[in-house]
Amino acid sequence: MTTAETFLYLSPELTLLLVAALVFVLDLVWRRDPDRAHRWLPWVAMGGLAVALIITVALMARNPSAHIATMMVIDPMSLFFVAIAIVGAMLVILSALDYIPARTPYVSEFYALVVVAVLAIAIIVSANDLILIYLGMEFLSITSYILVGFLKRNRGSVEGALKYFLYGAAASAVMLYGMSFLYGATGATDLEAIARVFSGGLTGDLALMGFPAIALLMVGFGFKASLVPFHQWAPDAYEGAPTPVTAFLATASKAAGFAIIARVLLVGLPMFQEKEWVPILMGLSILTMTLGNLVAIQQRDMKRLLAYSSIAQAGYILIGLVAIGRDVAFGGLSGLLVYLFAYLFTNIGAFVVVIAVENATGATDLPAYAGLIRRSPLLASMLLLFLLSLAGIPPTGGFLGKFLVFGAAIRAHFLTLAIIAIINSVIAAFYYLNVVRYMFFVQPPDGGRKAIAVTPAIRVALWVCAAMTLLIGVCAQPFVTWAAHSASLLAAVW
Amino acid sequence: MIPLSWYLVVAAALFSIGVYGVLTRRNAVGVLMGVELMLNAVNLNLVAFWRYVTPTKMTGQVFAIIVITVAAAEAAVGLALVIAAYRTRRTVNVEELDTLKG
Amino acid sequence: MLHSYAFIAIFAIIAFGFAVAGPAFAWLVRPKKPNAIKNDTYECGIKTFGETWVQFKAQYYLFALIFVVFDVEAAFLFPWAVAYGQLGLYALIEAALFILILVGGLLYAWLKGALEWQ
Repeated sequence: MTTAETFLYLSPELTLLLVAALVFVLDLVWRRDPDRAHRWLPWVAMGGLAVALIITVALMARNPSAHIATMMVIDPMSLFFVAIAIVGAMLVILSALDYIPARTPYVSEFYALVVVAVLAIAIIVSANDLILIYLGMEFLSITSYILVGFLKRNRGSVEGALKYFLYGAAASAVMLYGMSFLYGATGATDLEAIARVFSGGLTGDLALMGFPAIALLMVGFGFKASLVPFHQWAPDAYEGAPTPVTAFLATASKAAGFAIIARVLLVGLPMFQEKEWVPILMGLSILTMTLGNLVAIQQRDMKRLLAYSSIAQAGYILIGLVAIGRDVAFGGLSGLLVYLFAYLFTNIGAFVVVIAVENATGATDLPAYAGLIRRSPLLASMLLLFLLSLAGIPPTGGFLGKFLVFGAAIRAHFLTLAIIAIINSVIAAFYYLNVVRYMFFVQPPDGGRKAIAVTPAIRVALWVCAAMTLLIGVCAQPFVTWAAHSASLLAAVW
Repeated sequence: MIPLSWYLVVAAALFSIGVYGVLTRRNAVGVLMGVELMLNAVNLNLVAFWRYVTPTKMTGQVFAIIVITVAAAEAAVGLALVIAAYRTRRTVNVEELDTLKG
Repeated sequence: MLHSYAFIAIFAIIAFGFAVAGPAFAWLVRPKKPNAIKNDTYECGIKTFGETWVQFKAQYYLFALIFVVFDVEAAFLFPWAVAYGQLGLYALIEAALFILILVGGLLYAWLKGALEWQ
């Protein structure tokens, strides 16, 4: 590949890097005039993200499958996840416009760090080499630690960040130990070379490497995707973090975790599918959705409830990877992509409502949502839509995602898994509808006279999330085609 | 020459000590030290594998150097968080950080 | 092979024995007449007060955090310096860029006031 082509394929990453640097520099230049910085920098970040998104979509149209050295692969799948991360970050910045300045004097850094986090995700999802995978994961982790602990005078924020950090550091060390064995067994770090060595026949030591290496790697990846039993950080970090950051962690960052699981297992370790990783992923999936849902029922805090709900959702999403197993048509992987795409808008939308309520009342517990329908019909009806989508009720995007993923499981003859998932969805509907009960039928303490004001930025974020949630559900075909296309090139490699 | 397995055993022991530290320490800095031990075990593995498996390619060495660097960056952020936690809570004992639960 | 390691082992044993022998001999022959003043931590000077676990100013740590960046920089510059002869101009520019990025970080911290002693 020529240098010019390399730059072309790296242009989303380069744009993100430049935008982040620009926000940091402008923050320094305007340090004597913080009002100006606070007013303009979010829009600099938004504009930069928009440019990066346009470039990413334009690259998608070229349908590339480009290797940058052996380190990165730019293909429709990686671009899909880059697009998810950028859109997620834009919605997060929109929803943070009032939230962050009201709570801390350090505002500009927030926008820059969100862009940096997107850059980290862009690196992870196209990484094709263990070294770069590790580097990208740490890059995202370190940025996320700072974002979670961004309100450094707030006890919850700092506590959540510290717990996130301690779990994250340990998980990445375990993952690295797995990587070191993979390197030792194959003498290579890039995924395709690893696959070549393994495809030469699993004899002796090589055959023994599969299970421990995959198990150790899954600790690190499972941590990012918040799979049980590597989820303990999630409720605390989600509750303590500034709510826009929670929205980002629960969607874009989690999607990156799934992207890397898919690429490493499909490209690097395909010969361990039947005996090793399908059972591991299946076990993780069942544990994750069951435990997530059972604990979510007991939650009285909205952020914590959504945290456990997002853990449970990770369990459903994982089914998509399990169901790749015996299905040649790749129903599972494209189902996973559709699920993640719908989940992005649904979950961010739900968190935007939480942000709006938190801005007005300062509270995130369930009683704060009592009688929301009278205090803000807009927020209540939006949250209803997002909760229905999370519960997987048609005609929402959440339904389509669940339909495709569970359908793939049934077609791949994982009937038990599909039945457990459906039972779990029913349990989940119970606590989602409990929130709805609070909003519509519980009398608010002040009789519901105090209306909740919704700022224009939050309004825009809400409408975008709601429109996309409905659009994916109602007009499914283009999204399914897009996802299947994004998954197809990875399928060809596999 | 010393066989590869000796290095791997030492690394495994070091890794286990690190895991033990992570699981038993109550002090956040102590947990971090456990993690550093785990990372050093990984480095030992990487360099040993480099020497015995691919002595002509520098992959293992490069990986080890990158691990060292990232570990330093991680420790810097981690210690900053510990300081922030101490300023708001007057403790770095992980068990006493219990505002968030449920 | 093992033979040459034996020298190291013998050397280590002798070195260790030498270090232990001195104090052990002194302990054997010395008169033992303890009293309250002798058992004090310091026989002369100011008695210590408070605990050993005193708190250092957090500012020291913040400086240490910034130092770590440049400390680790050496891990990359050292291999580069060793192989400098074979790497040439391209690597020189890369290294310069690398250092510039780190300097940029330091400048940022400086302008943000992280280096002010509070």
